[in-house]
Amino acid sequence: MTTRGWTNWAMLAIALALAAVYLFPLYWMYVTALKSGSEIFANPPTFWPQAPVTDAFPMVWETRTMATYLSNSVLIAAGVTAITVILGSGCAYVLARYRNVWIDVGLFVILMLQVLPASVMVTPLFVAFSQLGLLSYPRTAVILAAAAKAMPFFVVLVRATFMTVPRELEEAAMVDGASRAGAFFRIVLPLARNGILVCAILTFMSAFGEYIYSKSIIQTPGLQPASVGLSTFVGPNSRDWSGIMAYAAIYVTPILAIFVLLQRRIVSGLTSGALK
Amino acid sequence: MTRIFRSVRDGIGFDILLIGAALLFLVAFAGVPLIYNVLMSFQQVDMFNLGTFMRPLVGFANYAAVVAQPEFWMVARNTLLFVVGSIGGQFVLGFGLALFFARGFPGAATIRGLFLVSWVMPGLVVGAIWGWILAGDFGVLNYLLKSLGIIQSNIFWKSDPNFSIWAVIIANIWLGLAFNMLLLSVGLHGIPRELYEAARVDGANTWQRFWFITLPMMRSTIGAVLSLGLIATLQQFDLFPAITEGGPANSSMVSQYWAWQASFKLYDFAKGATISVMMLVLVLIASVIYVRSTRHEVRG
Repeated sequence: MTTRGWTNWAMLAIALALAAVYLFPLYWMYVTALKSGSEIFANPPTFWPQAPVTDAFPMVWETRTMATYLSNSVLIAAGVTAITVILGSGCAYVLARYRNVWIDVGLFVILMLQVLPASVMVTPLFVAFSQLGLLSYPRTAVILAAAAKAMPFFVVLVRATFMTVPRELEEAAMVDGASRAGAFFRIVLPLARNGILVCAILTFMSAFGEYIYSKSIIQTPGLQPASVGLSTFVGPNSRDWSGIMAYAAIYVTPILAIFVLLQRRIVSGLTSGALK
Repeated sequence: MTRIFRSVRDGIGFDILLIGAALLFLVAFAGVPLIYNVLMSFQQVDMFNLGTFMRPLVGFANYAAVVAQPEFWMVARNTLLFVVGSIGGQFVLGFGLALFFARGFPGAATIRGLFLVSWVMPGLVVGAIWGWILAGDFGVLNYLLKSLGIIQSNIFWKSDPNFSIWAVIIANIWLGLAFNMLLLSVGLHGIPRELYEAARVDGANTWQRFWFITLPMMRSTIGAVLSLGLIATLQQFDLFPAITEGGPANSSMVSQYWAWQASFKLYDFAKGATISVMMLVLVLIASVIYVRSTRHEVRG
């Protein structure tokens, strides 16, 4: 074994240890959800469940009406993703295709909108929605508000994807008689499909966890998403850690599964847009 | 009419339609509310005139009232602490990890990618998990610190006014660390190898190579990462309701949660609007730095 080989193995071991430390909170969530009531409060704490029980999962699913909450989350996330992808892709394409002062202005506006905190926007949105009567359709109101929040980031990332599509292909299609719209839908969009898909998934995942707009705008428990459902029993004085961790585990496991499956693409999608 | 239709199908109209639809949507649901927010901060807003746009103007009275609140300076101090503590922790740890993973051993990229899982987690879930880790009596962090001999007795992270803001800062460092590391890794990747080799030939040691090559070459990346960190920290909301709710006695209250509480707990929308306009000034400063440091990237 060469020196270089040994160094590589040592580095790999350190890297795995660092990742283990970093991912400990996730591990702790699953382990706590699998512990019995008395084991959770054992001192010293057990780092591996002595007698794993899965009672907490069906319990929290039933008593906290998670099916309703999660279906609302899916509905809101799907609506946000649909609006963001349909409006955002076209916008990103135009911003990628031209270079002039108007495009610079448009980009500047998008970048500035990206930085607006939801906690700033929620007050005027709530008051305006109540004046317009949109609060009677609270989930639609949340979808509109959250889509406006998600779109600038989506545009910045997808624009980077469109930049990689060679313009010559589009021009060749137009020489062959395709219209601008035809070239866009039949040549450019299919080539950028993967990038758009990854960004759409990212948008979906962040909208799936959206909290502040839903908490402020949706008052009816039957229409609230899972984040608001979790907030009803999480806070500085929480006691039901078994239930909270089981709820959290059910809530995030689908997201984690998608992340693990698409990890490579998500990371490269993020890096290409955010910074070069 | 046919001319317009043709232009939409096969001309500049197509581009205007694509970008116009998105911009119209953003103006309606981000631009107009933003202006409306500023307007409300100069109005008297109460339950009786909530339905109308024509409310009595009160000048800077709302601003004076917010500053006169007994907790104002406490909130300002906490916000500053939250921003500086979070960014400092995220940046230092993120840079350290980025440098480590930049050494390019087998598996480095895959393991580094795993860190990004924090980025896709709902903020409220992250807050709930950290709330449990930081719990005073049975929290695992207290247990670890005690077994390592760093502390003698339990720290009540969430209910001790001296530590409550740090409880949220710790959770926020964890949340932002991965993104900092990712962006800094990309920056490190862009530094030409030859520079390091030339410096090595000239006899520069590791520290000198870091100080005279890595840092100067990373200047625009670092500017972007720090300003994005400031923006993300001021956007961070979900951790507060999950961990401390701003308490005890406002000891972990920050501007973003204070603004929300004014509007949605006290139903004082003018106050909520006023606090968020004050916060917005900070965000705008950060975004100017951000736009400046990424401008040459954006032009492609």
